[in-house]
Amino acid sequence: MQVLVGKRAFLTALFVFLFVIPWIANEYHTFVANLILLYVILSLGLNLLIGFAGQLALANAAMYGIGAYGTGLLMKHFGLPFWISAPGGVAIAVISGTLLALPALRLSGIYLALATLAFAQFTFWLMTHWTPVTFGAGGFIPPPIDFSPLPITQETGIYYLSWGAALVLYVFAKHAMESPIGRAFVAIRDGEVAAQALGIDLLKYKSLAFALSGFYAGVAGALYSGMLGFVGPESFDLLQMVLHKAAVVLGGMGSVIGSLIGGVLLTVLVELTKEFKFSIEVAFGGLLIVFVLFQPNGVIVFVRRLLPGWNERLHYVPPGKETEEDFGAVPETDPEAPAEPDDPAEVPATQPRGGGPV
Amino acid sequence: MRRRYPVAALAAALAFGTGLAAGPASADVQMQGVTDNEVRIGAFGPFGGPVYLYGKLVMNGVEAVFDKVNSEGGVHGRNVVLVREDDNCKPEGAIAAVKKLAYDQKVFAIIGGACSNATLASVPELEKSGIPMVVNSAVADGITDPPKTNIYTTQLTSGVESRAQIDFALARGAKTMAVVRMTDAWAMARYNPLIAYAEEKGIEFVENLELGVDANDATPQALKLKGAGVDAVIMILYPKPGAVLIRDSLKIGSNPLWVGQTAINDFVAFEKQVGVPDALTNFVTITATAFQPSDPEVKDWTDRVKSLFPNDELSVFNMNGIGSAQVLVEALRKAGPDLTRDGFLAAMGSMDMEVDVYAGPIKCSAGESHQCNQHPGWLALEDGKVVKLQ
Repeated sequence: MQVLVGKRAFLTALFVFLFVIPWIANEYHTFVANLILLYVILSLGLNLLIGFAGQLALANAAMYGIGAYGTGLLMKHFGLPFWISAPGGVAIAVISGTLLALPALRLSGIYLALATLAFAQFTFWLMTHWTPVTFGAGGFIPPPIDFSPLPITQETGIYYLSWGAALVLYVFAKHAMESPIGRAFVAIRDGEVAAQALGIDLLKYKSLAFALSGFYAGVAGALYSGMLGFVGPESFDLLQMVLHKAAVVLGGMGSVIGSLIGGVLLTVLVELTKEFKFSIEVAFGGLLIVFVLFQPNGVIVFVRRLLPGWNERLHYVPPGKETEEDFGAVPETDPEAPAEPDDPAEVPATQPRGGGPV
Repeated sequence: MRRRYPVAALAAALAFGTGLAAGPASADVQMQGVTDNEVRIGAFGPFGGPVYLYGKLVMNGVEAVFDKVNSEGGVHGRNVVLVREDDNCKPEGAIAAVKKLAYDQKVFAIIGGACSNATLASVPELEKSGIPMVVNSAVADGITDPPKTNIYTTQLTSGVESRAQIDFALARGAKTMAVVRMTDAWAMARYNPLIAYAEEKGIEFVENLELGVDANDATPQALKLKGAGVDAVIMILYPKPGAVLIRDSLKIGSNPLWVGQTAINDFVAFEKQVGVPDALTNFVTITATAFQPSDPEVKDWTDRVKSLFPNDELSVFNMNGIGSAQVLVEALRKAGPDLTRDGFLAAMGSMDMEVDVYAGPIKCSAGESHQCNQHPGWLALEDGKVVKLQ
């Protein structure tokens, strides 16, 4: 049973399936699969910021756009190859994301949301109006990407880059959130004053959360510009932000595997709204409301209830210190063990969480 | 043991995939979407949102033509079937729609393309697939200029309209002109050729103003226009901001010559939006269609659209779909019973026909001009009635 529904088996099957898609599916399904991979990356990055670090930021679509525009414009204006432009675009997104941490030091909750929303709108305005640089509202077509000497098309090349990036960034997010970084994020989310009392450097970890989120969005944006072969501002508007947020909420706030599920579900649902001629704005607006009201921790909660092996070790104890069993934590693949609470914040205060100060 | 599982699974997948990759070559695409009984035509555009008019309603017009053709026995005995795809007016949506229609639904040709940027983004995919495309709403010149082998448009393009706007104002003796525009892709596709043509004509706009697509107040713009004493205002606006601009100008006693374009060619609806009696006495606009929806000449189409789509009142958007679909059906006829992509494109490339609803003939020339509609019509309001201007 574990082989069929275990978390690792599921992840392996999912990534293997995504790997062979270009061989077994037509171009449309491959394109949708590529979108899935990008939304997985976007969802992972946003979840690190809002799900783990608790920073209610609404600038992820802007970061995504900065990554796409940065990559495409470096290719277009300076004739740089994709292999240099893409890291450049990602770097611009990371810098922008890190700068967003500055208001986050003084603001929180709805005020931080408003500040980051203003940043997103400003970015959108720049994309639309800074015509000499961004080509304005009409967008632009970046030069084609050369994958030689590999005998593959741009579409296939970008697909496998997206696949590799999604896999690596998933693994990175999983390990980062099990490390002291993850514990610091969760501590900040649960209470900034308490986190500071534990010796957590708010500037350092908030900046890191924003930078990581910007990095993930920047990578997705760089790949997006290559996948589409077109960059225009309408791809990075408020609806895009709603989609990112919906992916996180749908999958599960504060859950790495939930982000992955959210990215997959979101893309499939977007295609279903088209299939059934249903308004995407209404569908995702409604979905967000339903989940926020009735299941804010996303579908991962249902999965965990059914499959205890899907619990995540968000408070991993380094080897040589206390064992997980000492704290009543659950071995990852033990189907008989009780489930962890859905949200680490729900762990009773009396229950030790393991690990020392971070 | 568990550690070996992912590696084994990956190896199995690779072997499986490699086997499939060496599978049969792609089928002949020349007759894709064609059977003895039907020919499948795809369409893409937005089904919802503020620009659904250019997607859903245009498709309804296309469907009305196909319904009429099918009721008369089809084209060379084949029923024409429309397959619709929603693109959400987004570049990724349009690319996904083209891929779905070309490789999944396997249609013979595509008619549609509503949003300029989305359609522009889909051009490389259209060219790669080689699927014939008849654009019927998106206006950006770049879609068909330079000509692409398999892409034609029956819509007036942005360059054609922008030049016509300036020519009209000059013909009416305007000495000072201003432009008020939105800033989205649709507007910029018109604005750039407008500026280029103005420079060519030695015209300098005394005011160059922006207005948001959802604007509810245009008093600052109205005051600037009045202060500059403009004779004519070139409007690159949707109906809503256009109506707000005229309304707020009338409030302060300013009523220059307003020169609109095809986005504002439903006079009845536009007059209601302005909401001021006799507000449109100085308003003229371009129309791609020769008739207003209420004209008796298009009553047959009104009835047909109404019977197929009871919630629709015939609109100029339906008529754009009707006109483009008539061109596509004519190309299917000219291509003959042995329908192929090449035959269809050859027919499109030499198309020269009058259409029930367009203001002028549709003339295409393969490799030279794939912008087949070069005849803007002009509408104005006289004595409370919409009239066509010469």
